[in-house]
Amino acid sequence: MAVQITTKVNPPNRFEKFWVTMRGNPIGLTGLVMLVSIILIAIFAPVIAPHQYYTSGDVSSSDIYNAPSSTHIFGTDDAGKDVFSEFVTGARVSLIVGFFAAFISVAIGGLTGIVAGFFGGRVENVLMRLTDIMLVIPDLPLMVVIIALTKPSLLNIIFVIGIFGWTTTARIVRSQTLAVKSRKFVLRARAIGAGNFHIIRHHILPLVLPILVVQAVLTVSYAILEESTLSFLGLGDPTAPSWGQMLNFAFSRGAMSTGAWWALVVPGLGIVWVVLGLTLFGQGLEKVLNPRLATHHLMPGRPVLAAKSGTSVQAKKALLEVQNLSIHYVNDEGKPPARAVENVSFTLERGELIGLVGESGCGKTTMMLALLRLLPAAGQIVDGRVFFNGKELTALSEEEMNDKVRWSGISIVFQGAMNALNPVRTVGEQIAEAIIKHIEEFPRDQVQTRVVELLDLVGITADQKDNYPHQYSGGMRQRAMIAMALACNPQVIIADEPTTALDVMIQAQILELLDSLRKKLGLAIIFVTHDLGVVAEICDRVLVMYGGVTAEYADVDTIYNQPSHPYTQELIKAFPDLTKPKKKLSSIPGYPPQLDDLPAGCRFAPRCPSAFARCHIEQPTLHKLGDTHLASCHLVEVPK
Amino acid sequence: MSKEHFLEVQGLKKYFEAGRPGLFSRAAPRYVHAVDGVSFTLRHSEVIALVGESGCGKTTLSLLLMGLEDSTEGTISFEGRDITHLSDKDRKAMRRKIQMVFQDPYESLNPTQTIEEIVNEPLVVHRIGADKKERDERVKKAMEDAGLKPAEIYLDRYPHELSGGQRQRVVIAAALVLEPEILLADEPVSMLDVSIRAEIINLLAELRITRQIAVIFITHDLGSVGFFADRVAVMYLGRIVEIGTMLDVLEKPQHPYTKALISVIPVPNPRLRRERIILQGETPNPIDLPSGCRFHPRCPVAMAFCKDSDPPFVAVSKTHQAACLLLVK
Amino acid sequence: MKRWRLIFKRLGWALATILFVVVLNFFLFRIMPGDPARQGIRDPRLTPASIAAIRVRFGLDKPVINCFQSLNPVKLGDCNVNPLDTQFFIYGRNLLKGDLGISFYFNRPVTEILRERFWNTVLLIGLGQILAIMLGVVFGLFAAWKARTAVDYSALISGLVAWSLPTFWLAIILLFWGTSVGFPIGGKATPGMSSYPLSQQFGDLLHHLFLPTLAYTIIYMGEYMLIMRSSLLDVLAEDYILAAKAKGLSVFQILKDHALKNAMLPLVTIIAINLGFTVAGAVQIETVFSWPGLGGAIFESVARKDYPVLQGAFLLIAVSVIIANLLADLTYSYLDPRVQVD
Repeated sequence: MAVQITTKVNPPNRFEKFWVTMRGNPIGLTGLVMLVSIILIAIFAPVIAPHQYYTSGDVSSSDIYNAPSSTHIFGTDDAGKDVFSEFVTGARVSLIVGFFAAFISVAIGGLTGIVAGFFGGRVENVLMRLTDIMLVIPDLPLMVVIIALTKPSLLNIIFVIGIFGWTTTARIVRSQTLAVKSRKFVLRARAIGAGNFHIIRHHILPLVLPILVVQAVLTVSYAILEESTLSFLGLGDPTAPSWGQMLNFAFSRGAMSTGAWWALVVPGLGIVWVVLGLTLFGQGLEKVLNPRLATHHLMPGRPVLAAKSGTSVQAKKALLEVQNLSIHYVNDEGKPPARAVENVSFTLERGELIGLVGESGCGKTTMMLALLRLLPAAGQIVDGRVFFNGKELTALSEEEMNDKVRWSGISIVFQGAMNALNPVRTVGEQIAEAIIKHIEEFPRDQVQTRVVELLDLVGITADQKDNYPHQYSGGMRQRAMIAMALACNPQVIIADEPTTALDVMIQAQILELLDSLRKKLGLAIIFVTHDLGVVAEICDRVLVMYGGVTAEYADVDTIYNQPSHPYTQELIKAFPDLTKPKKKLSSIPGYPPQLDDLPAGCRFAPRCPSAFARCHIEQPTLHKLGDTHLASCHLVEVPK
Repeated sequence: MSKEHFLEVQGLKKYFEAGRPGLFSRAAPRYVHAVDGVSFTLRHSEVIALVGESGCGKTTLSLLLMGLEDSTEGTISFEGRDITHLSDKDRKAMRRKIQMVFQDPYESLNPTQTIEEIVNEPLVVHRIGADKKERDERVKKAMEDAGLKPAEIYLDRYPHELSGGQRQRVVIAAALVLEPEILLADEPVSMLDVSIRAEIINLLAELRITRQIAVIFITHDLGSVGFFADRVAVMYLGRIVEIGTMLDVLEKPQHPYTKALISVIPVPNPRLRRERIILQGETPNPIDLPSGCRFHPRCPVAMAFCKDSDPPFVAVSKTHQAACLLLVK
Repeated sequence: MKRWRLIFKRLGWALATILFVVVLNFFLFRIMPGDPARQGIRDPRLTPASIAAIRVRFGLDKPVINCFQSLNPVKLGDCNVNPLDTQFFIYGRNLLKGDLGISFYFNRPVTEILRERFWNTVLLIGLGQILAIMLGVVFGLFAAWKARTAVDYSALISGLVAWSLPTFWLAIILLFWGTSVGFPIGGKATPGMSSYPLSQQFGDLLHHLFLPTLAYTIIYMGEYMLIMRSSLLDVLAEDYILAAKAKGLSVFQILKDHALKNAMLPLVTIIAINLGFTVAGAVQIETVFSWPGLGGAIFESVARKDYPVLQGAFLLIAVSVIIANLLADLTYSYLDPRVQVD
């Protein structure tokens, strides 16, 4: 059976993509415009300049430091010459020196970085030591010394700036080369039999080039600044006047005392214009080539919308009750929101363990974050209510959530414990922090003892308390996270894929730990996973989600032995069963739906083996199949 | 087709230096015993599964078999010829015989290359194909054999436009285009969703029949191999502790580690309350190896003598061996 | 124990770099075209005898170096020469004694001239850097925290503009403005100030220090703010920040206990790398404001062709930067527990 492809239309070519990204990048675009304008001025300087710079025939002493006027729009300088003409001519010198010097720097830096990063060993050592030495030696004084002792010619200046500007580029290119070299596709290229040259050309270079380009832009701005500084200090080439030279003459020949601000401001503004243009363009490029996430976790969240469905007080006598919860990811571009969770309900009793099962992207993590009101900036609860211990969570303020619910009532063990622990603080400190925050009456001198107790509960020895997360193994880190989650004696623990990426034996240990803790401490646990086998071992009830909606919700026995929703049935069939090893493995063809472009009708219909006409038009409601068994499928509709 | 041993690995070892002692230190150098004496054989179109957890050396073993690392000791022979230490030229020629499929479909593909460039690359590297037309033919065939049909719609795409399962198929296609005789698959499905793992495993099983490729399937998940492995070898701390046919190992495991592994594999049947043997602690680091039997610190049935001597392989049947002192009777 | 190994290793490299700079410094002035003696002596009316006498006084009549035959096959000089009587050896010996030679222009020991200038530069750079770091961190923190709001965009733009200003030009503009509102035109103290009481002297110092420090701070604050902002943006997107939020910590607590230290680590590295460049800023500012520091000494000695002072000032600057870099490097390893000993 042919495999579907994800995109539907003709993919845009590279130029179109570049233009679209630049369009949404005002900073980069502004920089580009600034650059292009000054380059054009420099190119057409001889045409634009109203007065030839080199002729001194028609200049007299009365022309010195004249204020801007109609004949001299930028005034005149210390020798009576037109500042505007000097400005446009000077642009050429500054830009030429800048570009050529930068070219030398980028060539040396790029080559050094790639060679050092790729070949490693002794070569890298020598090159990097050289780079470090050059980086530490202050460059301006040395440049001053060298030019002072030799001839200040344009070529000299270009050369000197060039050989000092490569160090930063070399360091950055080297670390990027190292990063790329360790990526799996480079290993795969070697496994195919590719040699060093092939790998550098096809794999390293294309991925280092973007950073090199950004560095090149920044190096040009560095070179232009250096040239203007050197010229200002009197070390410029007197036969090729640049903006820096104009400032040198103005400053040392009394522009300040005469009040001739134009002689000082105009050339300086020229430099600022070019450098700012380059900087903005570089910033813009970096945003395109190396996009950083546009949001972070401390951005203000969106308000919870008033619930249209559900009851205003807790309906059942449960510890946690989620009623008709719907969550959308909103965007600012007017596109339809991604409907990540739609109309999901479930309850959790004291001491119960519920398994939340579904593929990646089905909305399970979103829903868990919503329970603690930790949705990212784009997420919003648009309908439904959550009740915990009788209180309506969805109506609480941030402070109330912090004081009463987060960690002390409901805590969470994140997926991928490596990143959930702060790498520069000890594990013990991070656990203690939770205790101190929530249990005010806890005597300070007892906190450390309590931390040791908690670590012991999860099987970590006391001597590990003051170690850092990177000193723990993967399984230990996960257990440390569990210890931290228990710190304030919560009633509910959300375990979000706690065993993914762990070995089977460690996985079994963690599952056993959670189960025993549940029994010992009377905890209720929500266990989020995509792994059905894990769920069967320890869960009491199971909620199967697909595309943001409830597919099926029942106790564990019913789910495995009488699944009613086709998705549940297919999931169970796809799971390899060791007790029947020769059975052919089945899979579910196709892909999970795009949450911002959902099909009409049942979300599972495109992949459902039992779908019929109605499924593609009408979304099924949740049908009650028994006391505690719900499924959303047209096939299980009980006829009236 | 000859039934002789086509790939034979004998006493393979790989030790890495574990940090250099200081200039003035008198301590003996320490080694990471990543692979510490592995031997097995492989026949034409046979599928052998190497099962083990992290730290057992399976990844290092795969690098040794591919010639991406040099072994410290031991031999690898292919069709009777010793290929343990080859010159660069010979090593490159060997690459046409044995190819690899990696674990991470998101990282194994260069994001700046199109699918066509990726699958074509091995042909370019080995200068196969008289002209572009021939290369295109080979690329198309490899892609279709890997289930990417029709090949045309994928050629101009970039990896980020494809799903995890499709990417893994591209990796397989790139491996197939050289027409290898052995495919080394290192955890090819562990990063894919459970519902699509079967696709890839089914594909590998199919390829074994249609292209007569032998497969070395490395995994930590015994459950997924039950389906298509002929033989299974269980690894622990750099060595094979049990090896036999798939039925031997899964239905009559002999080594305590194998028994424990099998007992904890999740089974989607809540009514089946099995006795699970959950080992405590984690695999010890391969630098300071336990004395005697390496498994004894965690072994639920260890005896006093287990810490004194290293267990040899004991033949449980013609096809089945395990290294446990308790079997020496 | 491991930490000591790290410290020794870094110290070793710092010393090696200093040695390299010392040697470079020596050869730079000998290899570059132009006999320092001829260039140093301005007066064309000097007789050959006087010139010879001056050369003897400055030790310029001795051979530059012997041939070092045992170390390399390339002959640098005459092997029959006593290595201890070469300019190079004398230079090295004098350095160890703290003798940097005699100024061509002032005819006084270089060390004497530069000593006070050194501390003046330290005052200026020190004050400027501390203010730049403090303000940069604070503004960067606000910009990142309030990302994508007006606060962030204005901070970003002003940071980028500040970074694009040539230091000497900003200094000129500030001076231009400053003199019109009563600030002094330059120097460190008003002439004749030393006869006034200390408190007034101190006030006068601040009066003179204000503009140069302002210029220095604006330039570097911009850069540090940009770095702090991008560093903090990365940190705040990390999972451990979400975990801290889940623990019920307030935004203030999260910033203080989890984000700040992590975000400042890259800043420490940049400050260390930057130390060489901050001197460039000092050279420009001291020149414009006539601040009597080492940077100004470089500028003046170039104009006067006073090579001993130039050489001494350069050496002093380079060694200071190397040592400061070492300290910053060690500070980083102390702060980040993930740093391994190589």
